[in-house]
Amino acid sequence: MIVRRRSFWLVICAFIIYAALTNAQSKLDVRLPLKDKSVRFAVIGDSGTGERDQYQTAKEMEAYHNAINFDFVIMLGDNIYGGHEPRDFARKFEVPYQPLLDADVKFYASLGNHDDPKLEPLYKPFNMNGERYYTFKKDFVQFFALDSNYMDAQQLTWLEQNLRLSKAQWKICFFHHPLYNEGKMHGPDLDLRNQLLPLLKTYGVNVVFSGHEHAYERLKPVDNIYYFVQGDSGKLERHDFHQSNELAASFDRARTFMLVEITGDTLYFQTISENGETVDSGALPRAAAAVKAAPSAQ
Amino acid sequence: MPARRSKIITRWYFTCPALLLGALTGLTQAPPAPGSNEAKLVADFKQRAQQYLDWRENTVGKTPPPANSPEKIVAVRHELANKVRASRAGAKQGEIFTHEIADYFRHQIAATMNGRYGKQIRSSLLHSEPTEMNLRINQSYPENVPLQSTPPTLLLNLPELPKGLEYRILGRELVLRDSDANIIVDYIPNALPGAK
Repeated sequence: MIVRRRSFWLVICAFIIYAALTNAQSKLDVRLPLKDKSVRFAVIGDSGTGERDQYQTAKEMEAYHNAINFDFVIMLGDNIYGGHEPRDFARKFEVPYQPLLDADVKFYASLGNHDDPKLEPLYKPFNMNGERYYTFKKDFVQFFALDSNYMDAQQLTWLEQNLRLSKAQWKICFFHHPLYNEGKMHGPDLDLRNQLLPLLKTYGVNVVFSGHEHAYERLKPVDNIYYFVQGDSGKLERHDFHQSNELAASFDRARTFMLVEITGDTLYFQTISENGETVDSGALPRAAAAVKAAPSAQ
Repeated sequence: MPARRSKIITRWYFTCPALLLGALTGLTQAPPAPGSNEAKLVADFKQRAQQYLDWRENTVGKTPPPANSPEKIVAVRHELANKVRASRAGAKQGEIFTHEIADYFRHQIAATMNGRYGKQIRSSLLHSEPTEMNLRINQSYPENVPLQSTPPTLLLNLPELPKGLEYRILGRELVLRDSDANIIVDYIPNALPGAK
């Protein structure tokens, strides 16, 4: 009799746990339109700590991948902190993102100041093809991954040529050091801005993603270019912002990643914390000054 | 006629980006006049850098192709570094950055940092996690120490390097780094002016 009663309660408990889990899964707060023929990807920055929080963020990404099926991830640098022995590649990249790698999600890395500028481009899962900077196209969107640690004449010339030749409807640059940044830890890289901004403006770059500052920031557009700082997918710096009118949204209470969907003339974005909370979302029209986005999360 | 036209187009194709880039950025100093002492120093430096790289690639080895396995990439890097260390065990500071070349670099860096964009360069240096360490020739750059980013305006005012070599700043030192082998090939002490 006692055994039967115990079994009954075990089944009830199992059912409650299962219901809670499936409920949590189905309650993912997806704010992207999930249209046909859109370009859908995730964004992570400063991720490669190998610590519990990186794994938690990766888990949340996996849940969203199961729901919206994004095709690839762009990495904004500091992909592998500290040592670069084989075990570091495993602990700080392969293990946390294994479910995504198994699902054929491609990762496109750019280099941060904690990355090894020779080893990481040679590491095939980062899809850099041995280069510090490179470009790739996904339908009507062209991406330019830059090495902001070492912006020499060759790279600037390469960027100028490739931007000039690009016929893509959307041009997106991603690199580690932000040109605009209201974070207290690093701030903007003014010298990099001097060099890059004329090219970005002249050739109609639409969006720039950067990391380095360990927080999330969406800045008000400058010269029709949208700037995001996403440097908190592994590292986090709390209470990190200057009081500023340049920030459209910011968040520094937990680690985050971004989901982006581009369809026609609109870029939809959603920034999600390691706890599954949506901290920012909205829709940005291409080459327009007005930002139609959700209220700031700050 | 078509051949001539194609030549003109080709020439324009290569000249245009350079002109535009110069016009867009406008941040570089005038290159040394041909035949000047500065031009000779730059040529001497470039030759020494190229000689090192040729020696390393022909005698020691080149960078491997991309691979899925980090074990393979890391092992080749370590092997390359060990061979470089063994083959140029007697190398000394100043073999590539000779006294005269180092002075040229110091002058060039000071002029850039005291120029129109000096404030931005200093600000970028401060924001890029500055690092200091005791430098030794043939030493591997420590893997767990971040590589301080080098301000682009500074890079544009230094002689271009062949692929496989790069400049790095460590405190006030300018380092010539073999990026394939992760080896410090040479450095200039006090290359950057002191804090303002």
